[in-house]
Amino acid sequence: MSGGVDSAVAASILIDEGHDVEAFFMKNWEEESEYCTSEQDYIDALQVCDSLKIPLHSVNFAKEYWDRVFQYFLEEYKNGRTPNPDVLCNNEIKFKEFLNHALELGADKIATGHYVRTDNRDGTIKLLKGLDHSKDQSYFLYGLDQKQISSALFPIGDHIKSDVRKKAEKLGFDNFDKKDSVGICFIGERNIKDFLKQYIPANPGYIITSDGQNIGQHDGLMYYTIGQRKGLGIGGGHSDVDGAWYVIEKNIEHNQLIVGQGHNNPALYHKFLKASKLHWISGNMPENNGLKAKIRYRANDVPCQIKDIDQNNISIEFETPCFGIAPGQSVVFYDGDLCLGGAIIDSYSN
Amino acid sequence: MYYFDHSATTPLLPEVSELMDHINKDVYGNPSSIYSIGRESRSIIENARKQIARSISARPEQIFFTSGGTEANNHVFWSLINNSQNHIVSNVIEHPAVTKVLEFLNPLGLEHELVGVNEDGIVSVDDINKAIKPGTSLISLMLANNEIGTLQPVQESVEIAKERDILVHTDAVQCMGKIEIDVSTLRVDFLSLSAHKFYGPKGVGVLYVREPKKLSPLIIGGGQEKNLRAGTENISAIAGMGLAAETSANSLDKKVVALIEFEEQFKSGLNKVFKKAIFNGNQSKKLPGLINVSFPGNRSDIIMTKLDRASIAVSNGSACGSGDIKPSPILSAIGLDDSMNLSTIRFSFGASNTPQQIDYLLTELKSILI
Repeated sequence: MSGGVDSAVAASILIDEGHDVEAFFMKNWEEESEYCTSEQDYIDALQVCDSLKIPLHSVNFAKEYWDRVFQYFLEEYKNGRTPNPDVLCNNEIKFKEFLNHALELGADKIATGHYVRTDNRDGTIKLLKGLDHSKDQSYFLYGLDQKQISSALFPIGDHIKSDVRKKAEKLGFDNFDKKDSVGICFIGERNIKDFLKQYIPANPGYIITSDGQNIGQHDGLMYYTIGQRKGLGIGGGHSDVDGAWYVIEKNIEHNQLIVGQGHNNPALYHKFLKASKLHWISGNMPENNGLKAKIRYRANDVPCQIKDIDQNNISIEFETPCFGIAPGQSVVFYDGDLCLGGAIIDSYSN
Repeated sequence: MYYFDHSATTPLLPEVSELMDHINKDVYGNPSSIYSIGRESRSIIENARKQIARSISARPEQIFFTSGGTEANNHVFWSLINNSQNHIVSNVIEHPAVTKVLEFLNPLGLEHELVGVNEDGIVSVDDINKAIKPGTSLISLMLANNEIGTLQPVQESVEIAKERDILVHTDAVQCMGKIEIDVSTLRVDFLSLSAHKFYGPKGVGVLYVREPKKLSPLIIGGGQEKNLRAGTENISAIAGMGLAAETSANSLDKKVVALIEFEEQFKSGLNKVFKKAIFNGNQSKKLPGLINVSFPGNRSDIIMTKLDRASIAVSNGSACGSGDIKPSPILSAIGLDDSMNLSTIRFSFGASNTPQQIDYLLTELKSILI
């Protein structure tokens, strides 16, 4: 129970279905700023639990989060990659530490407010996109295994967001119109650049165009993501229709940020990628036809083919080139609504 | 509810509740007004001041009402920021209402040193003595610790402080009704109290100030509390605190005996239920009725949730705003590693308990502990 509207309505649905429900407020991050935003989340969670007449317990996995998610997050940034800590948080914290905690307290299942669905087909539990495709969160849950997924319920997976909010309002939840949380949970609405600066020394260098011109300085490669347009600190450029500069590549070895002009710049599009830490939700590799893949949370599913698999490493070829493939992000595989699994992107090529 | 968390807060005494109800209903004059109903309010406040003064052997003019123990502590430290002598000696087992204030005031020019503590949970006077330097103007040492209950050598600290013209503050919020508080023998310069720790209302406290002229105001405004703490007084809360203090100090011996009996019943019962239990901190120099126990092999958050389901209230670490549970810095300071720290529960007994309740607690613990 995060204090948000999704987990609140999830709890209410479970109660309506006749489950015996207890809520947990999970704290994974110790605030270093003076104003404690998580306290408002706790207040909201408490109001929901009071109206549902269920107990709200508290758990703290800040140490586990720090050791297993945040350290990885920093390490990836140090290596010039763009990590996705939410994927790891689900694998390591919510569906490991918290799941074990709940089981120890006698729970049969845990439930969350994720927009995904599950389905038991031929003895395998499948993960499906949320019915509300605009809110689908399967991208963040591709790392779950059969044991984890069979212990989980996702009560709002077959609801659409606007109905969830309506239901929350009807139930008298104070958080019915609370803003959706965006971005990385522990950074919140802060500037990610300011945040990273506290943990990783910045290493400024030059911004180089794809044809080798030096056109400015960057503040440190970790601050930029491939495909990024805003915040480069360089002007729009010449007379092109789309003259804006985009990050094309990070040259870690020479500490150079390579940029190119125009959203349609072919250097931003790649047909191939290699990824590691491959995981299949079912435990087995799916059939290699009709596959699609997403290279970041908000990207479209693009038809693709597996070119090669070697243990936990995978090579993919896309039917059409993908924009802004960023190492550190996950590539997640789908067959229609079925989320099959994924891996962490290491490189791209044409 | 089976309530074993009296160090967090206590229920109101029925007579305190009645008195406050009456004042809330019938007394509304502003104590600063000079007509009759203003004077009525003022008299209620001054009567409470006398009750509190008597309960700690102070003079009424040394008692200043605050919003609680936290404000009382803040008042002392903020009062020193313009002092030319700007160094404070405190220690690592103080409540955040001391340590966090000192940390906050550091960039404003108030320096401090926190001395460590041994595994007994008692700060050594020798360490305090060593931390004193030429600019030291204040020693802040709690009378008893809030998590493990250990009594601190406040009187001995006063002795070394007096030789060097250093002031002494003690946070005594855990102590009223559990040990005698006598400022005439303690000879501290400042002492903080909080009403809700001794069956009084929340949101009201007291700062005892030996020489009020040495204190500057913290909250500025209409001049209440002799200009040292402005703001229209919370009459019913102040009256409630006065009565609660008087009641707590009365027949203290009997209360202590009752607390010790609960403690012994619990300890001997626990030794049968869970032999590996470790009692933290010096067990002979501590507040009666407050017991801090580690349960090796068990996690305190699991124990607490299971006890909560059985309507039993206990605590781990200091309670804080957002339902947080993390390793207690105090337990770390007395040498508990993280895993032992997170297997620790504080039980604090009080006037609302009965031997039957403690039996119930032991029965539940027996079924929970592994």
